[in-house]
Amino acid sequence: MKKKLLKILPQIVIVLVVAALLVIMAGGNPLRAIKIFFQGTLGNLNGFMEIFVKATPLIFLGLGVSVSFRTGFFNIGAEGQLYMGAVAATATVFALPGLPGAVRIILATLAAFVTGGLWALIPAMLKRKMNISETVTTIMFNYIAIMIVGILVRGPLQDKSGALPQTPFIPDEASLPLLAYPTRLHLGVVLAIAAAILLYILLTKTTVGYELKIVGTSPRAAFCMGLPITRSLVISALLGGGLAGMAGMNEVLGVQHRLLEGISSGNGYTAVLVALLARNHPIGVVIVSVLLAAVQVGANTMQRQMGIPASIVNLLIGFIVVMVLSQDIVKIYREHKKAKELEVNQK
Amino acid sequence: MSEILNVGFLTAFLSAAVRMSMPITYAALGETVSEKAGIINVGLEAVMLSGAFFSFAVLYYTGSMILGFLGGILAGVILSSLHAFLAVYLRQDHNVSGVALNFFSLGITSFLFGIMVKKVGSLPQTETLPTIEIPLLSDIPIIGEAFFSCDIITYLCYFMVFAIWFFLKKSTWGLSLISVGENPRAADTVGIRVNKVKYLSAIFNGFMSGLGGAYLAIGQLGVFSENVTSGRGYIALAVVVFGQRNPVFIFLAALFFGAAQALQFRLQALGVNLPSQFFNGLPYLLTVVVLLLSTKKSSEPAALGQPYIRSMR
Repeated sequence: MKKKLLKILPQIVIVLVVAALLVIMAGGNPLRAIKIFFQGTLGNLNGFMEIFVKATPLIFLGLGVSVSFRTGFFNIGAEGQLYMGAVAATATVFALPGLPGAVRIILATLAAFVTGGLWALIPAMLKRKMNISETVTTIMFNYIAIMIVGILVRGPLQDKSGALPQTPFIPDEASLPLLAYPTRLHLGVVLAIAAAILLYILLTKTTVGYELKIVGTSPRAAFCMGLPITRSLVISALLGGGLAGMAGMNEVLGVQHRLLEGISSGNGYTAVLVALLARNHPIGVVIVSVLLAAVQVGANTMQRQMGIPASIVNLLIGFIVVMVLSQDIVKIYREHKKAKELEVNQK
Repeated sequence: MSEILNVGFLTAFLSAAVRMSMPITYAALGETVSEKAGIINVGLEAVMLSGAFFSFAVLYYTGSMILGFLGGILAGVILSSLHAFLAVYLRQDHNVSGVALNFFSLGITSFLFGIMVKKVGSLPQTETLPTIEIPLLSDIPIIGEAFFSCDIITYLCYFMVFAIWFFLKKSTWGLSLISVGENPRAADTVGIRVNKVKYLSAIFNGFMSGLGGAYLAIGQLGVFSENVTSGRGYIALAVVVFGQRNPVFIFLAALFFGAAQALQFRLQALGVNLPSQFFNGLPYLLTVVVLLLSTKKSSEPAALGQPYIRSMR
């Protein structure tokens, strides 16, 4: 543990230095920025709870993407799966006006899970049966999902009392209950953490989890062991897409209380990086999501109070990931050198 | 709806379609060459966006359009090379690296643009590229105006479509490049420098996509705004699949995506009220349908997205 910390310490220092330089470039004082950052995140209850409100969809999405990645299904479609989950949750809540709120929430969650899962299953099957790369198809499915939401909120599901492309508010009893009024914190965060723990157990303690891992690391080994590759892929897609769909449910029932366009704003793509930084580990996903959400909340405060563009977050996320991706650079450089020496010797 | 069928409408529609398809075509052509050599770049959007911003910034500060284009191309080449470095040398997952690129590029362009706006207030619209009419050809009704009354970059694109087609299908170099994407081990055995070919193809992709982005910003719009490419890089990725990695088909596929966008604006102008999301999503939906219906083997290179480690057997 100590060794690990020592290894990432220089990286943290580099990121902080880059962040400070960016703040100076934007005409701000880095020390004041740090103060405001901590005031915005840890200094008041609202800001602190907002971290978890923002982290919740990232946890669901990050879990979904990491399950897919583990099985070698490179799912960049979490964004679309979220949208489809949001559609299913909204439609379920509005379709069953007579039932009690708790029942509607449970049914909406199930509907979101199944719909998100099916939305991921199509690209997975295209990959398995027709050998079409899932990278591009999942991205295309994102756009198709956004199209479906766009049409629904302008057509059958639109709030007829206004001209805006959004559905009416869902009733209070079908919303996820608030946990710490007056902040926005709601039950979603508990569900997300529960999902992470369940997933951890599934992946590490059951045969299904073992199969998913083998299929992901070496499809050939899985084939030779007689493991059902298609079944693993189906499970991974349904589970991964389903978890992303839960994020859609979370946004509709917990945050926005209605379906509207731009309900995700790119979190589905952030999730790919969350999964990478967490090394596809469910508990790691929770930690990384909370940290990223804290950075987002802090940066928003910095934008409001110091006029530093909040786009600094995207820049830093990209920078951090590129840095993490290149941390093996010395090791690989040595390998290359060794390979070259071997070649020279052979000649 | 009868207005749709008159010549004036068709001409304007087709012109708009060609205009909208151009940045996408550039990026898709670059990506095709890159994918043929085995590198898939999901960060195409990032490369285009950087091309767009840096071309605009250079043009704004130097006043030279040529320098602007060069700046955009250079930014594209740098980002694409970074992706290749992560994917080829460090053997990282191509998709993760591409997504990271997207965040980085969206962040850095928005950040720098924000600072620029803060310093100079409102940014003026710069001059765009002049139209050059090709004699005789531009007099053909409907098609003439759409295809032969454009700017220099559009004509360069026609040439690139042909050149890349020739390169991939008829030249030995093209054959070497394809062999690297299909079977790097075999390519290495016959003396092809596998990773060098990959880097070169990535640089070419950066050149084309950066140029596509630059053309969008300073060639067509004359302005930059945050996330100005708004998903064109992702469209280009779909176009590569839809066009089956064949330059000529890619040109047509991009034209089709451009036409869908153009139709949306034209119909809105005529007062036909269809949600714009319908037209934005329709080409993707059709691409998926085409993928499902095509019985042909997918055009994907066999070793796409896989690292090549020379010392491993």
